[in-house]
Amino acid sequence: MTTGLTLEHVCKTYGDLKALDDLSFTVGRGELFGFVGSNGAGKTTTMRILLGVLSADSGRVLLDGVPLDAPARRRFGYMPAERGLYPKMKVGEQLVYFARLHGMTAAEATESMRHWIERLGVSDRVDDHVDTLSTGNQQRVQLAAALVHDPAVLVLDEPFSGLDPVAVDVMSEVLSEKSSSGVPVLFSSHQLELVEQLCDRVGIIADGSLVAVGTVDELRSGQPVRLEVVTEAPAGWADELHGVTTISASGDRFLLEVEDPSGDQDVLAAALRHGPVSRFGRVQPKLSELYREAVSA
Amino acid sequence: MTGARTSKVSWHLASLVAQREFTSRVMTKAYAISTAVMVAILVGGQIVYAMASGDEDPTAIGTTGDDRALVVAIKQSAKALGHDVEIRAQGSESKARDRVKDGELDVAVIGHEDGSVDAVSQDELDSELESILQAAGKQVALEKALVAQDVDADRLAADVERASIDVDVLDPDDPDKGQRVALAYIAVLLLFFTVYLYGLYVAMGVVEEKSSRVVELLLSTIKPLELLVGKVIGIGAVGLMQVVVFGGAALATGLATDVVTIGSTAIAVFAASILWYVLGFAFFAVLYAALGSLVSRQEDVNNATMPLSILAFAIFFAAQASLSTPDSGWIETLSWIPPFSATLMPLRIAAGVTDPLQVVGTVIIMLVATAVTAVFAARIYESSVLNTGGRQSLRGALSRSR
Repeated sequence: MTTGLTLEHVCKTYGDLKALDDLSFTVGRGELFGFVGSNGAGKTTTMRILLGVLSADSGRVLLDGVPLDAPARRRFGYMPAERGLYPKMKVGEQLVYFARLHGMTAAEATESMRHWIERLGVSDRVDDHVDTLSTGNQQRVQLAAALVHDPAVLVLDEPFSGLDPVAVDVMSEVLSEKSSSGVPVLFSSHQLELVEQLCDRVGIIADGSLVAVGTVDELRSGQPVRLEVVTEAPAGWADELHGVTTISASGDRFLLEVEDPSGDQDVLAAALRHGPVSRFGRVQPKLSELYREAVSA
Repeated sequence: MTGARTSKVSWHLASLVAQREFTSRVMTKAYAISTAVMVAILVGGQIVYAMASGDEDPTAIGTTGDDRALVVAIKQSAKALGHDVEIRAQGSESKARDRVKDGELDVAVIGHEDGSVDAVSQDELDSELESILQAAGKQVALEKALVAQDVDADRLAADVERASIDVDVLDPDDPDKGQRVALAYIAVLLLFFTVYLYGLYVAMGVVEEKSSRVVELLLSTIKPLELLVGKVIGIGAVGLMQVVVFGGAALATGLATDVVTIGSTAIAVFAASILWYVLGFAFFAVLYAALGSLVSRQEDVNNATMPLSILAFAIFFAAQASLSTPDSGWIETLSWIPPFSATLMPLRIAAGVTDPLQVVGTVIIMLVATAVTAVFAARIYESSVLNTGGRQSLRGALSRSR
């Protein structure tokens, strides 16, 4: 049995538009899963189906191998892409309300609300109406609304958008903490550096299909090895080498791609033959590069 | 929606929603103030009315001398006209004139030696009082003249007494008709405004959740139907409280001040208003929720719910038009038809022109109509409530829900 949150062959169409096309992946327990893709790729639709806000045309959603039903979904924490709270309701009352809708008793809800507003730094606004808060503080309350009922699964749509750097740190901390306590955490983001830094695994979605999924290292593994060489050797020095392509050359900095990773020493030797080398090393492609490649493929 | 219609509504969740709807509306300063003002108007208005229309002091008439016949004639003539008078004998003409000046007497009747009579008053006499005095004066003069011509005064009186005409009224006026109309009017007004206003609040509440986008967060944990049911019950309870408080305050004051003397009818109308409020509100509220869910901005609510507002006004005007003739044929027919029964039945109960069979029958028909409406409304609501953006068509919403 697979533990964690699993999508199996999920399809969804809106009229003629195929929003999700046979989407399958798993977010394991204790895993922080980054979900990336361009606007309209299907991230929000996927999350809405996970939460049961939308229904899939076909396919299943399972938690620890069991198809999800309404009571199981009430243990989910959700932060929708379109943020929403009752504008004319007090922060504290609102969080208690959401906690109770998710199944907590009034006492549990109040205690948990206190904990999270303290943790997220909005405890002094507990009796203020939400619409009197700054955007950043509203975001914190929104996150608190996703966390207040101690969720068994966390699904967050663009949780980092609109956050100041301090709030980004708090958010990252909370997400890591939740995932290490065994909660499957799925979040989408356009901030790929953040995703690369935080996530255990990444899924790249394009046009409703998952085009790549795995740890960032796994995503890199299929990639040709790239070498950065800073040398005074004249342009075109690498052209004679077999299985080596010059990707870019700007001044004395050359970016090369080698078909055989073990051939890197031959490249260094060739460079030295043409001039002094001041820097030589492998370049790890960033997630953003992997993403561009995956999406354009 | 996933599982929305396949599994049951959780009453626990619906009641949490209802509680929020109720407290977020009742626990506001605006609500407390508007309720207090309305109760003050209902209670104060009746007290003022009771004081203004209460037993008037009898007209004080001073007489001089010991003309017994004149006193008797004034009393008889006043009684015939339904005028309450108090006769106070005065020592002398000058004393009587002083009392009139002081305002202690409304009028002084001064008989002279020669049999002529003067009336002295501070202001112009009101015409009724003047005719009483004139009639009494003439009566006394006539009697005196007849006696002077040797007519037997006692026989004359007996003969005149026998000659009085007995009136046989085939269709007597209901002495309580005024009260019945007033009761009906107040009940209809209260019902109409509460159903209309709180129905509109339901639509606005639905749109508030859409425009603030909180609805997606809500629907990730509860079903649309639970949200709808909770909202209708919560807002409906606020309206019910208004009907009970306003109706109860008006009824209690009316009975206490004797403005209302037909107690059992008034209580029946009050009970009927509560019952028909619940039925009428349920009918309208689910429709308001459905039409509200078609739009996403508060400024579109009025347009979207226009057909319902027209219907609400139609049932109000139907009741309004039938206030004076609640037993006419077309009203009888219309009062069976939902939602017209919601205002026409309390009105007919107030008028006392219905029977238990019709009361029970119309309630059952209304319940069935509300249940059918609720099923359609819930389908529209479920399929539209997550669609933000432009206004959607009813047909689109219904076809999506299939």
